[in-house]
Amino acid sequence: MSRSFVIDGRQVTVLDDVSFDVPATGITAVLGPNGSGKSTLLRLVAGLLTPDAGTIEIDGAAVADADQRVGLVFQEPRLLPWRTAIENVAFPLELAGVGAAVRREHARALLDLVGLAAFERAYPHQLSGGMRQRAAIARALARDPQILLLDEPFSALDALTRERFNAELLEIWQRTGTTILIVTHSIAEAVFLADEVVVLTARPGRVAARVAVPLGRPRLADALDSAAFSRAAATIRAHLGGSPADIAAQEAAAAPVHDVLERAGAPAWFDPFGAGPSR
Amino acid sequence: MIRRFVVVLGLLSSVVLGCGPGAPTAEPLTKLTVGLGYIPHVQFAQFYRAQQQGYYRAAGLEVTFQHEADPNLITLIGQGAVDIGLADGTSVIPAVGQGITVRYVASIYARFPSIVMVAADSGITSADGLRGHTLGIPGQYGSSWIMLQALLASAGMTPSDISLQPFPEYGQEIALQQGIVDAATGFRNNEPVKLALQGFPTTILDIDSITPLPGPGLTVGEATLASKRDAIRAFVAATLRAMTEVGADPEAGLDDAIAVVPELGADRATQLAILRATIEMWHSPNTDAHGLGAIDSAGWAQSLDFMRGLPGSNIPATLTADQLVTTEVLP
Amino acid sequence: MRLRGTVLPVIAAGSVFVLAWKLIVIVGNYPQFILPAPEVVARRFVDAWLDGTMAPHAWATLSEIGLGFSVGATLAVGFGYVLARSRLAERLLSPYLVAAQATPVLVLAPLLVLWLGTGLLPKVVICALIVFFPVAVSTMVGIRAVDRRLLELGRSLRATHWQVLRHLELPAALPQILGGMRVGVTLAVIGAIVGEWAGADRGLGVLINIARGSMFDFPLMFATLATIAAIAVALYLVVVLVERALVGAWR
Repeated sequence: MSRSFVIDGRQVTVLDDVSFDVPATGITAVLGPNGSGKSTLLRLVAGLLTPDAGTIEIDGAAVADADQRVGLVFQEPRLLPWRTAIENVAFPLELAGVGAAVRREHARALLDLVGLAAFERAYPHQLSGGMRQRAAIARALARDPQILLLDEPFSALDALTRERFNAELLEIWQRTGTTILIVTHSIAEAVFLADEVVVLTARPGRVAARVAVPLGRPRLADALDSAAFSRAAATIRAHLGGSPADIAAQEAAAAPVHDVLERAGAPAWFDPFGAGPSR
Repeated sequence: MIRRFVVVLGLLSSVVLGCGPGAPTAEPLTKLTVGLGYIPHVQFAQFYRAQQQGYYRAAGLEVTFQHEADPNLITLIGQGAVDIGLADGTSVIPAVGQGITVRYVASIYARFPSIVMVAADSGITSADGLRGHTLGIPGQYGSSWIMLQALLASAGMTPSDISLQPFPEYGQEIALQQGIVDAATGFRNNEPVKLALQGFPTTILDIDSITPLPGPGLTVGEATLASKRDAIRAFVAATLRAMTEVGADPEAGLDDAIAVVPELGADRATQLAILRATIEMWHSPNTDAHGLGAIDSAGWAQSLDFMRGLPGSNIPATLTADQLVTTEVLP
Repeated sequence: MRLRGTVLPVIAAGSVFVLAWKLIVIVGNYPQFILPAPEVVARRFVDAWLDGTMAPHAWATLSEIGLGFSVGATLAVGFGYVLARSRLAERLLSPYLVAAQATPVLVLAPLLVLWLGTGLLPKVVICALIVFFPVAVSTMVGIRAVDRRLLELGRSLRATHWQVLRHLELPAALPQILGGMRVGVTLAVIGAIVGEWAGADRGLGVLINIARGSMFDFPLMFATLATIAAIAVALYLVVVLVERALVGAWR
């Protein structure tokens, strides 16, 4: 499918004729530099945006507006600061009208899954960045989604913690069996986690390649140093290419799109003469 | 050169000679700040006349008028910021009781101006008829409040026997006319006069025959009285003289008032009616016997006892009438 | 523990104030009707409460403030929300909002008494009016400042408008709104007194008039002022405590 935005009056094509399958219960990584439309892609799959052309389907059924078959983990944890961890995780269930006792139980189980069982009554400001992101993952799993979408979830963490979180994500995936689509700009992360890596180029975002990762499961930390890992990483890197100038231009172009995406996410309101989100 | 010298010498001489004993030299005038009521009003015509006709100046006084609401006025007089003012007698009593050092030196209103008015066709003719009715009053303070309690007491009532409607200041006329209240407090020379001219006659209930409450009069601070006694005496004399003349010729008094306060000229007829009503209140049996400005000491003593007996009164038991008034500056 | 840190400085500052006051009275040799000494005012204050002079008036003024604030603040939060979320409403209504605020309450009060009488109603209206602007503006600012990323989260979870308001916007804007209420509640005290001066038979404003104009009891007048100040401080503290309870945990 394809998607474009109007930014400062100009039509900017963010994704151009992007097409790929995501196998059920597998992990697929989408890798690309800034400006390759990764965040836009994720929101399209989540149903927060609609494509200009083409279709997106989950299990044969088209994606609905804010499709609840999808669990979203954003780049920032986006926890509600005035709620405790368990209340945050239970939030999607509360919105869906699930009773208090039931949702508490469910939230407790999810917190246990992500290793935060002891912190259920902590407020977000009392948790570290990594713990908050874990809570966000737990929240995304609250409604038992068919597919879990993660938008560069660990990019705010330092490299060592990131490796550990990658391993934990695999454990969570092993326990829940949810399909995962993760957007990242780290080649190492993509190869470590995914069965297949979809490589996107910069504006407009196009599928440059789909690289299968030939590593077996379960993947342990030593997989990072194996030869197969390096080969896969090298293949991906080759597809990315691009001079430093290109990369800088791509990054400069990425910011306005993010701004439009954020506004597109806000609820529409009575705003007939205002500057609404760009379509 | 020589011509210029002569011119300068000539100029100098005329200046020196002009300042010589040949020119009429005036005694330095004593400055007096005089506090009159809330706003310039035709009821102060005698003061305007004395000012306009030069009586104050002839008495060696330089008089400036200042307008103040009553509670402020008494405090200012006590402080000495105002030398002499027209203050309510019923305010002097609690003020002196609370240690504000002022003295009442001359009556201006020999009859108590605060009254209760009802529509002439209401059928109410005495205090007793007010029972159970609504009455508009600015608030539970001031001369109207004291008057009301005296009026109701004469019929064996207290304010709880009627329905009090606290009314914004100076809205009493409208309230009565619109029928919002059955009765309202007012001043004999103000609201009833204006209402009558508008074709709305009223019946007046007053306390003249009930309690001899002291009306507004000239009040001076003790310190000022000590330091400027002669000036005060001269002021009182000049004012009383003007009162006599205005009483004899109200039209002339109105002219003098308009000369000082031009706004009063807008409606001569109404102002004249108000002035005539005012003049009536300068006279009482006591002033007929002892002259304008006379103070009724016995009346003061009675009023003191009456006010002391009112609920919530803070007037000390030791206060006597001779601490409140003095006749030393009366002619 | 935190309380000791705030209470001691307050007491210290208060003592300095009282001492300075006493010094001024002694040095200036002021008579009681210009500036009564602090101990005279204190004694009159205690007497006025013990003999029942102060209490009924204080209660009357408190009810005016309580009702006026509740009405005004509730309407203001709703109004502020509409202004925050609708640019059309903001463009149409904010000039009137500002104009209404700029008109001095002292001028409006007699008019309101003329139209609404001298009972409780005009005072409640005056208090509500005076509280409206600060709370409406702080609500508008607070709602506008809600992180868009949280709103996107809400949309991704299919939150209804009402759920967004209740679970996302109001809690996020609460610190701002309560800040506006702090200002509003102290203004409401002024509004009540001004309303009483325009026409009333009960209340601390009325008591000031009686003390000053009828009884010439200046210590009582000062004691009444002290009561008014105490009420304002107490109400402000109430809002602070509410804020601490609702917002303190997660800040």
